[in-house]
Amino acid sequence: MIEPYDLAIVGGGPAGQAAAEVAVSAGLRVAVVDEQARPGGQILRQPPRQFTVERWLAGRAYRDLKAQLTRFEALPLDWFGRCSALGAFPGADGWSLQLSGPEGSHLLAARRLLIAGGCYDLPLPLPGWTLPGVLSAGGVQAFIKSQQFVPGHRFVFAGTHPLQLLVASQVVAAGGDVAAVLFAQERGHLIAEMSRAPFAVLTSAAAFMIGATALRALRRAGVPIVFGAPVAAIEGDGRVESVRWSGEREGTAACDAVGLCFGFVPQTDLVRAIGAEVRWIDRTGGYAACHDDWQRSSVEGCYVAGETTGVAGADAAMCEGRLAGLAIVHDSGRITPSDIEREGRRLKRRLAGLRRFADMLGRMADPTEWAMRNIPDDTIVCRCEDVTYGMLDSALRQQPAPAEASALKLITRAGMGLCQGRSCEHAVLRMLARSSGKKPSELNGFNARFPARPVAIGDLIPRP
Amino acid sequence: MARIDDGVHRNGGFEINVDGTVVSVAAGETVATALLAAGRVSLRRDGRDGPRGLYCNMGTCCECMVVLVSDDARRLVRACLTDTTPGMIVSTTTQDD
Repeated sequence: MIEPYDLAIVGGGPAGQAAAEVAVSAGLRVAVVDEQARPGGQILRQPPRQFTVERWLAGRAYRDLKAQLTRFEALPLDWFGRCSALGAFPGADGWSLQLSGPEGSHLLAARRLLIAGGCYDLPLPLPGWTLPGVLSAGGVQAFIKSQQFVPGHRFVFAGTHPLQLLVASQVVAAGGDVAAVLFAQERGHLIAEMSRAPFAVLTSAAAFMIGATALRALRRAGVPIVFGAPVAAIEGDGRVESVRWSGEREGTAACDAVGLCFGFVPQTDLVRAIGAEVRWIDRTGGYAACHDDWQRSSVEGCYVAGETTGVAGADAAMCEGRLAGLAIVHDSGRITPSDIEREGRRLKRRLAGLRRFADMLGRMADPTEWAMRNIPDDTIVCRCEDVTYGMLDSALRQQPAPAEASALKLITRAGMGLCQGRSCEHAVLRMLARSSGKKPSELNGFNARFPARPVAIGDLIPRP
Repeated sequence: MARIDDGVHRNGGFEINVDGTVVSVAAGETVATALLAAGRVSLRRDGRDGPRGLYCNMGTCCECMVVLVSDDARRLVRACLTDTTPGMIVSTTTQDD
């Protein structure tokens, strides 16, 4: 039996890195697991080692993140890249993590567990969104940042989240064309939300600089930015060929790629699978991991940090990761409370400010009004099992009507596929809430099941 | 659909096989990039015979499953999380066998 690690961290992004730095410097033995080959998370999705990229993410916004990444890569810890965490199981002496990678699967033992799984783009069902060439905006950005590849010639970006301005400008900078950036909401809504939170605006000047720079670049490139333009349909024969939008400024743009950008939802499969407490997120849907003041989850020995606890950006993830690291070191008996209190107070003050900004951004980008409204019956909601809006709708009209997401799953197969409901759960819950007159927060989501990521059965069977 | 050349140096490359066609890739590229760069946007037909392709590019949506074929095994993998290797055989047509 190999001696267990003091700490296993799931996720090598800003939160996981920050926690690892604190833990390693206190003398803990640390393992970090990530599905990407190299650390960075989605925000710093690194190019492959075989590439040399000049001026990679050269903007000021990435400076602190890159400095932390450099420090992290020099830490004496065990890095498990291209490894998926399928499940976590509590035992007498901590945790057993089931991992799976290109060479098969294995178990990793650790006394404490930090889940810093990040977030993913909210998958919002729209007519035609399953056509090849339609990607999440985050997916487009990851191709550019890491693979140095532009996954299309002519893009339309559509959604509610201002981040799409940044991704569109990155496509333009990389030599691609952007036919249009469509915001479902009116421009006035964005301005109203900003004026409601002047303090958050003032303290987040850097974020607004990024937005302003992206806007300037798009204007220079002649990219139309249309507000009050919700997507009516994504159309094409065999692959995406155009996007049609409604509203007063209705129109159509030809394209061969689409980036959808309605906000981001936390990765909480592992958190939910171990039975730790989560909360429904009102605007984007999905669940965020709950925690105490020091990032401890409701399950002993499991900590949570970064976007997994609610999407608030990379700076907040670094703060939470550091807090979690301090708590883990403290709970391991390596430092006393008085040593960490001052540092904790500083981090929590900074976090409060960052969360105010995240909340304002969340209100600006609120997708609720365009989520599961005016959707044609044949629109696919569950991408894995091809379950349409109409199939879910008619299941909800049965008597007696299914009262739980799991019942709707049994009837329609929505949520039964390879992605374990990550794509459709929020949509199913929105429909169920509407038909039952309840709030989504009053309903239960799908049961989180092992494995959190797809794995071959043969990989789980011990070899002789 | 284009590799960014400005300021990017790809060090070496090799060939893989996609559904019987030879495809050139740069070392370090994922199977997803190799497929898109080769114009393979559609990766499967869904239950209604609709064409489907990669969506999230971060391992979450499982829309980019392809089969890696080797002498002794066939592995269903997410193309976006799988690094190409020289001589790799990728099949997009045999997922349901």
